[in-house]
Amino acid sequence: MEQVSMVLEPVRAFLIQLGEFLPKLIIAVIILLIGWLLAKAIKLAVVKGLRSINFNVVTERAGIDNFLQQGGAKTDTIDILGILVYWLVILAALMIAFNSLGLALVTELIGRIAMFVPKVMVAVLVLVFGAYFSRFIDNAITTYGKNVGIEDAELLGRLARYAIMVFVVLIALEQVQVATELVRLSFLILLAGVVLALALAFGIGSQGRAAELLERWWPKHTKKTISDRE
Amino acid sequence: MSETLPGNIKKTPVDNSQWMNDPLWYKDAVIYELHVKAFFDSNDDGMGDFAGLIKKLDYLQNLGVNTLWLLPFYPSPMRDDGYDIADYHNIHPEYGSMADFKQFVKEAHRRGLKVITELVINHTSDQHPWFQAARRAPAGSSKRDFYVWSDTNQKFPETRIIFTDAEKSNWTWDEEAKAYYWHRFFYHQPDLNHNNPQVVKAVIKLMRFWLDQGVDGVRLDAIPYLCVREGTQNENLPETHAVIKQMRAVIDEHYKNRVFLAEANQWPEDVRDYFGEGDECHMAYHFPLMPRMYMAIAQEDRHPIVEIMRQTPDIPETCQWSIFLRNHDELTLEMVTDKERDYMYQMYANDPRARVNVGIRRRLAPLMDNEPDKIRLMNGLLLSMPGSPIIYYGDEIGMGDNFFLGDRNGVRTPMQWSPDRNAGFSHADPQRLYLPPIMDSVYGYEAVNVEAQLRERASLLNWMQRVLAVRKNHQAFGRGTLVFLHPGNRKILAYFRIYEDDIILCVSNLSRAAQPVELDLSDYKGYVPVELMGRAAFPPIGELPYFLTLPGYNFYWFRLTSGEHVPSWHEEHLAPDELPMLVLFDGWLSFFRDRVVPWRMAMAEKVRSRLEDEVLPHFVAAQRWYGVKGEAIKRVALGDHVEWGDKDSKWLISICRIETTAGTTQTCFLPLALAWENGSEERLRAMQPVTVAKVRQQARVGILADAFADETFCHALIQSIGAGEVLACEQGNIRFLPTAAFTELAGADAITFTVRAPGMQGSNTAVVLGEKLFLKGYRHLQVGINPELEMGRFLTEVAQFPNIVPVAGAVEYVANDGSAMTLALLQGYVENQGDFWNYTLGYLERFLEECYSTATPPGPPESAHGAYLVLIRTLGQRTGELHKALAATTGDAAFDPVPAVEADFISWNQRVRAEMESTLDSLTRYQNGLAESARTTANLLLERRDAIAQRIQACTQASTRAIKIRYHGDYHLGQVLLTQNDFVLIDFEGEPARPLAERNQKNSPLKDVAGMLRSFNYAAYAALAHVGAERPDSVATFEPYVRAWEAEAGRVFLEAYQQAVQDTGLYANQQSLHSLLDLFLLEKAFYELRYELDHRPDWVSIPLHGILELLDRPSYAPPNA
Repeated sequence: MEQVSMVLEPVRAFLIQLGEFLPKLIIAVIILLIGWLLAKAIKLAVVKGLRSINFNVVTERAGIDNFLQQGGAKTDTIDILGILVYWLVILAALMIAFNSLGLALVTELIGRIAMFVPKVMVAVLVLVFGAYFSRFIDNAITTYGKNVGIEDAELLGRLARYAIMVFVVLIALEQVQVATELVRLSFLILLAGVVLALALAFGIGSQGRAAELLERWWPKHTKKTISDRE
Repeated sequence: MSETLPGNIKKTPVDNSQWMNDPLWYKDAVIYELHVKAFFDSNDDGMGDFAGLIKKLDYLQNLGVNTLWLLPFYPSPMRDDGYDIADYHNIHPEYGSMADFKQFVKEAHRRGLKVITELVINHTSDQHPWFQAARRAPAGSSKRDFYVWSDTNQKFPETRIIFTDAEKSNWTWDEEAKAYYWHRFFYHQPDLNHNNPQVVKAVIKLMRFWLDQGVDGVRLDAIPYLCVREGTQNENLPETHAVIKQMRAVIDEHYKNRVFLAEANQWPEDVRDYFGEGDECHMAYHFPLMPRMYMAIAQEDRHPIVEIMRQTPDIPETCQWSIFLRNHDELTLEMVTDKERDYMYQMYANDPRARVNVGIRRRLAPLMDNEPDKIRLMNGLLLSMPGSPIIYYGDEIGMGDNFFLGDRNGVRTPMQWSPDRNAGFSHADPQRLYLPPIMDSVYGYEAVNVEAQLRERASLLNWMQRVLAVRKNHQAFGRGTLVFLHPGNRKILAYFRIYEDDIILCVSNLSRAAQPVELDLSDYKGYVPVELMGRAAFPPIGELPYFLTLPGYNFYWFRLTSGEHVPSWHEEHLAPDELPMLVLFDGWLSFFRDRVVPWRMAMAEKVRSRLEDEVLPHFVAAQRWYGVKGEAIKRVALGDHVEWGDKDSKWLISICRIETTAGTTQTCFLPLALAWENGSEERLRAMQPVTVAKVRQQARVGILADAFADETFCHALIQSIGAGEVLACEQGNIRFLPTAAFTELAGADAITFTVRAPGMQGSNTAVVLGEKLFLKGYRHLQVGINPELEMGRFLTEVAQFPNIVPVAGAVEYVANDGSAMTLALLQGYVENQGDFWNYTLGYLERFLEECYSTATPPGPPESAHGAYLVLIRTLGQRTGELHKALAATTGDAAFDPVPAVEADFISWNQRVRAEMESTLDSLTRYQNGLAESARTTANLLLERRDAIAQRIQACTQASTRAIKIRYHGDYHLGQVLLTQNDFVLIDFEGEPARPLAERNQKNSPLKDVAGMLRSFNYAAYAALAHVGAERPDSVATFEPYVRAWEAEAGRVFLEAYQQAVQDTGLYANQQSLHSLLDLFLLEKAFYELRYELDHRPDWVSIPLHGILELLDRPSYAPPNA
């Protein structure tokens, strides 16, 4: 019998363990299930909410949707945000579930992933509003330029827009902390390059014009006034 | 049908007894001044007489005058044209006898002509028994005292001499009396002494003698000179006024409706005294106005007239000025300043022989250099200035003068009746005439005479008749107040004559050249001026000064009517600054809440609600196509819509829902366009008239307007039709459908066609492109197949019927549930001479005018209307061909003919019965509101209710076999366009009031025929009414003419129709044709009657008479029976 019991002991222990683990698993599964449902619901609410406040119009005007569609995506920005929210909730549910199973390492891993999602969302928002803002500035400059009669008003507007977009993209990348150092360096190099190019262009190309302007603002030879003659 | 003038306009009574018994008749008088001697000679003694005058009374009545003023016809030595009277109580033997005179008065009164005679009481002839007695009687005796005597010729030195050419002094020595006698005129006309009561008594007795003969008024000749007093000018003395008052008291006491007409050649303020407080003379001449009319036209400046009228004092209510252009005396220039007189002499009497005394001895026509426009203008002024006008005999035909005849005889030559011997005035030997007639080449009786002018439509005489008839329609001319306008252009004289509700605006161009004028009519904003001579309505008076252009020497008379008759082609141009301003922020998207960025959603809602609740309702209500008056629009909601167009120009195609305050809704098509100020100027200007609102987006300003006015929109529509595009909207899609005829009609260069809006706009919006295409935008949308599109397509593509407007394509909206609505139709443009209704009306009016001016009844209608009937024949043929085309079996179920079965006849019968019942019911309801004549007719009709029912029954029973096809549905003269003596049939929409499903049904095509026949009836009576408005007395004469026309036109039309539809089996036989026609004619007439009762009660007589005629007409009998 003992042998039997000896043999059965681990089985029993296993069963006891199993008996202890099973409810946890069931709870975890239930948590996941609820999380999934919740995720779906929250996604739906976010998408609906954003649409109802015409967020899609902003993304559309910002050109992001168009950009996405050109890239072959069948979704628009709101859908992306929805998916992000969905996954955020799912990940949170997973975290709780694994935690309840006592799998601390997995929980931590998932936690890190989960913490990344909001950053992506913020980055998307930065991109959307940044792009909208850049277009707005473009339009404003173009309209103003046209009204005052600058020939290359559209070019100027476009330049301003792309300049803003560079900043916006950098901020977004900064936000998601992807290659931060590299981005910063390359930005500095780019900026220095542009400044240098401008300095050279003006310095060489507009030497005479600059001198003329200087002459007008700070004349070398002050004209004699009438009182001088007296 | 003469009651086209609104009831509140006062006319001179047409009814004879009413006119003869009006105590204020002299206010409406148009006086014709004539000399018995000069008018017509009945006994060939070379001198006119009363018997002759009686013969010519009809002429005077036709001319349109209503009062005759006879120059003196008493026994006289004739040294002052009869004003030197030798016997007050008798008739000059050469003119006839007392019996003749009485007969004349009777005949004149019978024709509604009043008679004014001369009462020359200032002086007598020196042959008068009173004077003969006076010179023989001892000084101081009562007989001697009848005249004014003096021992010296230096008495009354302040008194002026009037006949400066003939007399040196007012005193003449009488050998027999051994004293000087007083005379203000010729030496042989001693003045009666009115300071002597005996004289006044004798004069009153004399006056009563003539009033007892029936004369309606007496002209008091030389009235200011009656009494004399030492130390005065012997004019206008209080004693004189006392005498007049005494005489007036007598006529007020013993007589009714008699008047005094004072001849007082004085300044207005002095003449004013002769009216007293309404207790002296009824009428007095306005002498100073006359030369000033001549002066104004010579100086081409209104100042003289305006100035003298300003100086004219008000006169008592019961008094009236009498005004004239010319009379039997010289054109007197006493009432002008010396400088003005010199000017007048220079302008009008260059030849010194034309001058006599202080005036010019010429007639009107020579004074006006025989320029017709100038003569008419002067007459226009005369007839419209305040006062009763006097027309001098002969001036109505523009007679000339002969100043070589001495004194003023040059303007007293015989009336020119015809080109016969002695101007048709007398058959006597020419040398026996009292004066030779005018015989020169310009004014001679062969050139100027009544006979020729009666026959010539454009003659002065015919014009005078017309203008007098117009004047008669408005008592405002005689009785109205005068209000001058002061337009900047001084060559224009403009004034109002206002009497109660009748507002007449008279505008005259005093210059020889055409003149523009801007009149400030702001008090009458919204009124529609209707020109009285041609009855044409002018555009309504708006915000801006009213702009008119007048040809040289021309005038217009307008009646200002409130509202109803705005000319159909007029477009209301709202002044742009009155428009509301919409502030947009995002182009078209600004209106759509769900298409703007989040922070602008509230703004979008606000803009949208402004558009729907304020801007669009205001715009739609003002549009002609909306048409529904009286119901305020609450909201115009944008329904399904789509933004359409390329980057440069975008339009908003929208299907709107119009909600009225009464709760009804209506779907309409409203494409909108935005145009910015820095864009194309031309585009902006084209769209301005249909601007919905001004818009601003940041610094850009522009307008939101109806896209049909946008050339690029129309081009884009056509291009899309050609390409057969489909445009997806939210709740459906818009389909552009070309037909087979598109390429042929539009060609490849449709995009370059210039766009214009045709003059007439109805309940749809029409655009003509390059004179090749006709784009019709439907406004009121109905679900279903548009019959115009369906029929047009069938007739263009399948039947290839040439006499319609070919259909090139259409724009349809198909909702997601499959219901379709036609938004626009593209057709070929047909160059045309307008619709046949207007052509026919114009034709009939011309025809009637001709009948009037030639005064002969037209021949039999088939010859009188020959050329016109050719058109009718063509019309009948085309109508037949249309029905033949529609009756062909093509396999298209919507068009294939079906035989009419028993049930159809029953349902037709029932329909006509129902139409009859409901119409007669509403007739009973409305009949008390109808005009007298219409009410009587309505009663006649109501009494015959049963007879009508029987007739309807009989019609149905008699019709045996027929087929049903698609038909026009609303066929009448207005639906056919005349083009090069052929016709194009248009507008296959059917009766717009009926639902589409009913309009698409098949029926007997004879309904179209009935519609056209009824239209002939309408045309006949509308033309009669139009002409009758001007000549109410001739309506009775004309009615048989137009009815003969109608019958003949109907016969010819039907004949040609029958020929064209032979062998199609549209009807079984003649009997069946006619009974079906009668049935449909009745149905149509009842429909018309109900329509008129609801909309135009003045017109009910037309269908009323139409129905009665139909009932009286026997049922059909085969021809040759």
